[in-house]
Amino acid sequence: MEVAIKVHDLTKCYPNILAVDHINFEVYGGEIFGFLGPNGAGKTTTINMLIGVTKPTSGTTFILGHDVTEEPVKAKEHIGVVPDVSGVYDEMTAWDNINFSAKLHGVPKEKRATLARELLELFGLYERHSDRVDTFSRGMKRRLMIATALIHEPEILFLDEPTTGLDVQSSRQIRDMIKELNRKGTTVFLTTHYIEEADQLCQRIAIIDRGKIITVDTPEKLKTMIQAEHIIEVSFDHAEGIADELKRLSHVRDVVTAGDKFRLYVEDPSETLPFIFHFAKKNHLKVTSVNTLKPTLEDAFVKLTGLHPEVMAIEKEHVKPARG
Amino acid sequence: MKTFKLFTMLTHSIYIAENDLRQSFKSVRHVVWSLLFPLFMMFTFSFRYGVSEPDISFLNFLIPGIVGMTAMFGSINETMSIVWDKSLGVFDRILAAPVSSTSIIIGKTMAGAVMGVISALVLLIVGSSLFGVSFVNISFVLLIVVLASFSFTGIGTIISGLASEPREAMMLSNLLRFPMMFLGGVFFPVEAMPMPLPYIARALPLTYATEALRAVMSKNMAVVLFDATVLVAYTVSTIIIGSKTLMRLMTR
Repeated sequence: MEVAIKVHDLTKCYPNILAVDHINFEVYGGEIFGFLGPNGAGKTTTINMLIGVTKPTSGTTFILGHDVTEEPVKAKEHIGVVPDVSGVYDEMTAWDNINFSAKLHGVPKEKRATLARELLELFGLYERHSDRVDTFSRGMKRRLMIATALIHEPEILFLDEPTTGLDVQSSRQIRDMIKELNRKGTTVFLTTHYIEEADQLCQRIAIIDRGKIITVDTPEKLKTMIQAEHIIEVSFDHAEGIADELKRLSHVRDVVTAGDKFRLYVEDPSETLPFIFHFAKKNHLKVTSVNTLKPTLEDAFVKLTGLHPEVMAIEKEHVKPARG
Repeated sequence: MKTFKLFTMLTHSIYIAENDLRQSFKSVRHVVWSLLFPLFMMFTFSFRYGVSEPDISFLNFLIPGIVGMTAMFGSINETMSIVWDKSLGVFDRILAAPVSSTSIIIGKTMAGAVMGVISALVLLIVGSSLFGVSFVNISFVLLIVVLASFSFTGIGTIISGLASEPREAMMLSNLLRFPMMFLGGVFFPVEAMPMPLPYIARALPLTYATEALRAVMSKNMAVVLFDATVLVAYTVSTIIIGSKTLMRLMTR
């Protein structure tokens, strides 16, 4: 398989923090590759190094064979980028935004208008092409950002948190568009802190935490990695302070709280279940629900990173620029 | 191949500059600061002696001062686009495009200088036609306006390279522009200022711009040449420092 992106020992060191710590991976042509990790894990720093916006402290990135540090302009010709903040001019029309991008990417003059129109139509924005972007909804803005990133027909598309801050419907729309683009042959590199999203979209996932890649694999393989484990999800009418006691039950390897439910990682549910009921009876608790679960990607993530899934739900604080 | 590269680089710069300027003319914030504010200052100060009896010698002093000041406001405002671009994420997007950093710097500098010159010329036309002020030698006036605009652009890029967000940039630039406006010989002659203000005034590029514009009118070529030289020195040094701050911004 053709290698689209090759990353070797990539490292970024800021004065107080090692943001990205000697990471290695390859992205193959034609796949959707996801970078999954909590905020602050180094996802944006990595993407910025891959697209040549941030200089790595050490290590190399090759985009279709071009070293990003050595020949940045050549490497950048093949990529389209959708940053996690807006990335489009609010005071300009959608049309002017996409045209500016076309000019910067050296799209020949005679092709600009046709391509821009095609893309805006594809993303359902053509009727609004002469409206200023500050009149757009977030979802529309994000669609426009993707359209502008595609104007030069790049082989690789980078998306930094493509659905963060969007409503459910817009998110689904964006995901469908990413899948559609990929079906047509575009290689996609995206970052996300939504485990679900990574599971639905990506052919392969790199799990990153505190600047280190923990593992790279397909979502299904990641799930089977912990298949040996079973999960019992149980809830009681009172839940205060019993997590530790549950952990002490025999055959229970680990307990993770998820809302008002407890997830018990066990080897054999039939072995453990009687203990749970016994525990409830002894402590005068009522069992309100019991389920046995197949491991999800979230479980794999929790297992691999040791992070609580709620860490992933912490949204990044976007500083909204105030108009002066 | 080399000339082709240079050509692409320049085309990119022009795209960036054109895009910046186009944005600015559509933005209310920008038009207010670059044109309405200087016009307002011009009218306010021109009424010093009442409308019925316009003081020609004072207007001959005031209008060239305002023209220099407008070049300053126009250029510095335009360079603030860098900070807006940063806060919008557009700057990263431009960086991710196959465009060399030099093109970006040249483009932003061109935009700043062009905006300074355009705004100054608007004020010059309005001022000279409304108040009957003659600039005598327009090519020298243009030369000074261009040099001044470039030196203010350099200052602007330094500020926008240092500021992390738009409000900080506005604060920093006003901290510089307002004292410069009152000490740069726009409304009061530098010689009439109490000590040690003339020394401060002599450190400001605006002082040389206003002095040179007036010297063109009074055909004092020695002063014009001297001030032009100082402005060239300012332009070269501020643009070098400005490009360095921008370069640092682009290679994080």
